[in-house]
Amino acid sequence: MSTAPVTKRKPTDYKSDLKPIWCPGCGDFGVLASLYRAFAELDLDPAKTVVVSGIGCSSRLPGFVSTYGFHSLHGRPLPVAMGVKLANPDLNVIAVGGDGDGFAIGAGHFPHAARRNIDITYLVMDNEIYGLTKGQVSPTSLTDQKAPSTPWGNLETPLNTLAFAVASGASFVARGASFNTKLLTELIVQAMEHKGFSYIDAMSPCVVFNNHQEEWKELVTDVSPDHDAADKVAAFDLALKGGFKLGILYREQRATLNEKYKALVDAAKDSTIEQMLEAFNARKGAAIGKPTV
Amino acid sequence: MARKSVVIRLAGESGEGVISSGDILTQAAARGGYWTQTFRTYPAEIKGGPCMYQVRMGEDQIYSHGKWVDLLVCFNQEAWDLHWDSLASDGVILYDETAVEIPDEYASRARPVRMEKLAKEIGGSLRAKNMVAVGAVSGVISFDTTPIEELVLRRYAHKQGVADANIAALRAGGDESGDLKGSLEITKAVEVEADRILLSGNQAIAAGAVAAGLEFFAGYPITPASDILEWLSAKLPQVGGITIQCEDEIASISAVLGASYAGAKSMTATSGPGLSLMTEMLGYSGTAEIPCVVIDAQRGGPSTGLPTKTEQSDLQHALYGGHGEAPRVVIAPITVEDCFWATIDAFNYSERYQVPVILLTDQGLATRMEVIHKPDTSDLELWERKTAASVADGEYKRYELTQDSISPMGIPGELNGRYVSTGIEHDELGHPAYTPENHVAMQTKRWAKLDPLKTDLVRHELYGDAQPEIAVIGFGSTYGAVREAVALAKAEGASVGAFYPRVLGPFPADQVAHFTANAKRIVIPEVNFTGQLARLVRGECGLQVESHAKCDGLPFTADDVLDVIMERVPS
Repeated sequence: MSTAPVTKRKPTDYKSDLKPIWCPGCGDFGVLASLYRAFAELDLDPAKTVVVSGIGCSSRLPGFVSTYGFHSLHGRPLPVAMGVKLANPDLNVIAVGGDGDGFAIGAGHFPHAARRNIDITYLVMDNEIYGLTKGQVSPTSLTDQKAPSTPWGNLETPLNTLAFAVASGASFVARGASFNTKLLTELIVQAMEHKGFSYIDAMSPCVVFNNHQEEWKELVTDVSPDHDAADKVAAFDLALKGGFKLGILYREQRATLNEKYKALVDAAKDSTIEQMLEAFNARKGAAIGKPTV
Repeated sequence: MARKSVVIRLAGESGEGVISSGDILTQAAARGGYWTQTFRTYPAEIKGGPCMYQVRMGEDQIYSHGKWVDLLVCFNQEAWDLHWDSLASDGVILYDETAVEIPDEYASRARPVRMEKLAKEIGGSLRAKNMVAVGAVSGVISFDTTPIEELVLRRYAHKQGVADANIAALRAGGDESGDLKGSLEITKAVEVEADRILLSGNQAIAAGAVAAGLEFFAGYPITPASDILEWLSAKLPQVGGITIQCEDEIASISAVLGASYAGAKSMTATSGPGLSLMTEMLGYSGTAEIPCVVIDAQRGGPSTGLPTKTEQSDLQHALYGGHGEAPRVVIAPITVEDCFWATIDAFNYSERYQVPVILLTDQGLATRMEVIHKPDTSDLELWERKTAASVADGEYKRYELTQDSISPMGIPGELNGRYVSTGIEHDELGHPAYTPENHVAMQTKRWAKLDPLKTDLVRHELYGDAQPEIAVIGFGSTYGAVREAVALAKAEGASVGAFYPRVLGPFPADQVAHFTANAKRIVIPEVNFTGQLARLVRGECGLQVESHAKCDGLPFTADDVLDVIMERVPS
């Protein structure tokens, strides 16, 4: 993170000129507010911060932030964010999106981003529904839920994204909620300070198509202070039990992909294009190159 | 009289030493001062299956792999059964004495080689079969084996016993052709001062990318493009870059765009199925104006198709694949040497015009080994992208409508260049905007910036007459065979020339119209089923053309094209 200047930036410094186009009461407002506050608390340099997203209501978020933004394609924020971070490790990179974006069309990228331990944060605004396309079920929708695409009830079992994250090798796994911005701000701060792939599941109700806000407020409890976030089995157990636990489930320190690439590049013998071409040389008496790679 | 070039074909079961024999012969020919080009067929199986390795070598530059085989080496019976009909009328046959029966009518020009016996007795193991075969080949063409012995000594530098056994096997093979020794004598190669290198099309592309300043490569293994991923995995870190193998092609192109957005020159390489998966993100690249280079080493399609065979059937996909109409540039290099330079062109176009560039090769060009002039990298012309650093504070518009339609691109790190990249239609600031006027203005801008690529800025290739009666138009890897055919047809008195657009999108319609101004016939050879280039020329230029499309998975030979040019019944 950048060193603090004399006056720290304020949350409003991260607001862009665009007004969010979300429905009144949408959980994503709370997530965005938490993000502004977390950025301010970390005093992120807007020039060196990139917010990457996919497609969906929540993926419009980069437009409302004054940093760099990359509103990519449906399901693709993680590989895009990886490319950004590998090309310039000095950047603060956070990927955001919804549950459909991240765990339906983009699910194939999630375990790889996690196991690679690329040094980015992934914040999913999970409303258990497709909002932008008007209310179809998502991979985190409840079984038996009735929706336009499941008029007789959802036949499928919802994905446990926290267990998925732990199992995939995410080195930071947490859950927050849009209606608890204090905690969510803190989680985003910790996730961005974490070296490695950090995943935050932010419960963020869709007030139009799947409004569980009041119910969720009742159900959530904090992760027990006794929980050892360094204990992977305990984290997996907690994730599998469900029960709307807010807080950090898992955290470990292991080398990030950026660190490994840096070591690899530093260790690689310096070469030039001229030397590489010389290895193919075929003139008489020249050094002999391998016929194939 | 000694021959100026010979075509040698080695055939047998994969794993028997056919490929290693071909590799040794190719390397030795190159080091012996001969221009060389190879052609291989690969079995689709991991192990086993029939394989073939053809080496054409000669004192003059070789443009195609040759149709008629001067020297056929059969490692097994199947090799004879599959390849006897490719023999030249005076072609010579060498065969494994224990495994092959040659019909009587060929007996006078066929000699048995004691591959197994000599390999075991002199070379010490069956693995020396390839050296016996190479020795026998060298005998027939009167090739000085010194470069081969140097290669062996080098390869087994730390195993003197193995090196000695291989050299002994090589020498023993030299006399196996008996009275046919020297019957296909090749002219001695001229000593040359100029540097030459031997490499494949894939390697030339990978090296060209490094020369162009590649910083980030992401890819997913796929035949026949994987060599690029592998070579860059080894080499790119040596110049400070990163190569990563992703979970699929969608992730590869997404990571490439992410890296390019962050300011790095970025590339991926794939084949048809991978290009299909990348298509949505290519539309994003064109719309959000993020540079990237995509190599498509085409293979036989459709669907999984013929992964180890060659085809030019992705042309229309490369040009038009994807929803909506996003701009892109399509380049087709014509030789291995051109693969190097065309890759640099690809980066230059991509960076300057902030557009995806697809470079089309195919299995034949990607995998063949060719002796080329060593590229002079001392004075490369590299184009850089226009960034927000050039813009005064407070005035920055990512998609500013400018004179040349090229807008300044903000690179993270520059405070003044902040913007949100998006595939949604946007205004000059990059904000979502859906008005009719804005959409028209932005579509116009995105396409207009490519107009310079329709001019002389692009180097197209012309061989033969500039405005011929018989006008041949082709793209990519068919160039070598067409060039040789044009030379042969001209020697017969025909008014003929060949035009090879290096950039196919945007299409050089004016140049084609000029080239065909006096044409009585416009002949378009291509390796696909539906005649995609023919359709393109008809559509872009409104010309009547003869399509000569074939989709047998094999490259054209000069004789094939000559028959087309001269309107002969194919032999």
